[in-house]
Amino acid sequence: MFVFITHRRIVQLLSIVGGFLLWEGLSRFVVGNGLFLAAPSQIAREIVKLTISGRLGHDVAVSALEFAVGFAISSVLGIALGFVMASNETAKEASEPWVQAFNATPTVALAPLFILWAGIGIWSKVMMVVIVVIFTIAINTEAGIRMTSPRLIETFRSFGATRAQIFLKLSLPSALPFILAGLKLGVGRGLIGVVVAELFGARAGLGNLISESAANFDMAGLFAGVVVLAAAGVGLTAVFRWLEHHIVPWHGD
Amino acid sequence: MPQAKLLVSKISKRFGTLLALDRIDLSVADGQFTAFVGPSGCGKTTFLRIVAGLEQASDGEVRIDGQIIDRPSSDRGFVFQSDNLLPWRTVLANARLGHELSGTTSRNERERTLALLKLVGLAGVESRYPAQLSGGMRQRVNLARALAIDPKLLLMDEPFSALDAQTREIMQTELLRIWEQGRKTVLFVTHQIDEAIFLADQVVVFARHPGRIKEIIDIDLPRPRALPVKRTPAFARYVDHIWSLIEHDVRESALTT
Repeated sequence: MFVFITHRRIVQLLSIVGGFLLWEGLSRFVVGNGLFLAAPSQIAREIVKLTISGRLGHDVAVSALEFAVGFAISSVLGIALGFVMASNETAKEASEPWVQAFNATPTVALAPLFILWAGIGIWSKVMMVVIVVIFTIAINTEAGIRMTSPRLIETFRSFGATRAQIFLKLSLPSALPFILAGLKLGVGRGLIGVVVAELFGARAGLGNLISESAANFDMAGLFAGVVVLAAAGVGLTAVFRWLEHHIVPWHGD
Repeated sequence: MPQAKLLVSKISKRFGTLLALDRIDLSVADGQFTAFVGPSGCGKTTFLRIVAGLEQASDGEVRIDGQIIDRPSSDRGFVFQSDNLLPWRTVLANARLGHELSGTTSRNERERTLALLKLVGLAGVESRYPAQLSGGMRQRVNLARALAIDPKLLLMDEPFSALDAQTREIMQTELLRIWEQGRKTVLFVTHQIDEAIFLADQVVVFARHPGRIKEIIDIDLPRPRALPVKRTPAFARYVDHIWSLIEHDVRESALTT
């Protein structure tokens, strides 16, 4: 087992290092023009420069705030919506077409509209995050509650449990793994929402850094923003995987 | 004659045009251990579920202590075939579920449930999770959960059928040992003839098409019983007799399914 994991790790590490070397080689010797592609070494230098100047820290802080507020709102509302859809047939039938449609639509295209409504400050980005994340969380929550084992429901019934008890003590905990999976999916969507909304108009944030760099043909600056976003996505997903492992240890593995 | 603990009169159950149970009459005395055997499809599990209140009879009535029952309640404890434990709860929290649902948890109740877990052989594993237990131990939790509410009637639906043969024999003796402590009224559904005889005071043999009682056999073997009783001539005679009652049905169902 230990040997197996180590082997996997080595392959992953080699793949990452090899990928970066390939990228470095391509941009230096094949493309050879900083206007079209920045090499990893240039990006790293740019990240250091932007960090020292304080620009990167400020952009990260703004984007993180937008993401956090939007994600918190969509978690609370999305889980609540999923509960309502799972517990009331009429509510489900009425909301399902809308939820499915909104979930499938690339709602990031609505970014200009939100900026028109809420301005170029943080609230247009919060709205964007909510609209791209909330339905994913709602759909997962609803599915989780509906997947409650019929055998366990019957066990509760045999003890004379009320519907409310079945819901609170059985459906809710057994839906937890699905809710966490929904949140994990929402991380990626939410990050896209923040950046796209910032691209359309913002005073600060990683999307703003990217669009300004692009306007100046500063590929190193553009990639610096993208790399930081990628790291945030990987890091947040890892946090949710850790949460899954600790909150719902009975699930999976 | 003392009043019957359980009195079943003219219970029928139809699923569409299929007559699953046809006018079942049965009387069970307080403290009696009754086992139900029969070929698959004879309705013995449906019968048990009606007594539990998990299913409604099409006709007839079930009385416990004279009261008509029509829904599940904490006066009956049901032990399911699969252990049906909540994976996110410890052994103790699983065993206390019944009291939690009826709002009767207390420090006293907690102590009693702990003592019960000890009785069923789960001392020391109270704070483990179901995934950390063997199949036999999970069934002990399942049993403890049903016993914890101190039901008038303990209903068991093939509780040992998922266990391997050795574990099953151990669980049979364990069940008798636990039962001797309180002598609850037990209804035990099984497809194993030897299990029924070994455990029960009376064995109810079901037939199928339609599901009905073919014969009720009183098991006159001394208690407390231990596994060697299964190798006595009296035990073998009971097995032969019950097998002769259901052989035709079993052969038929083996051919059709």
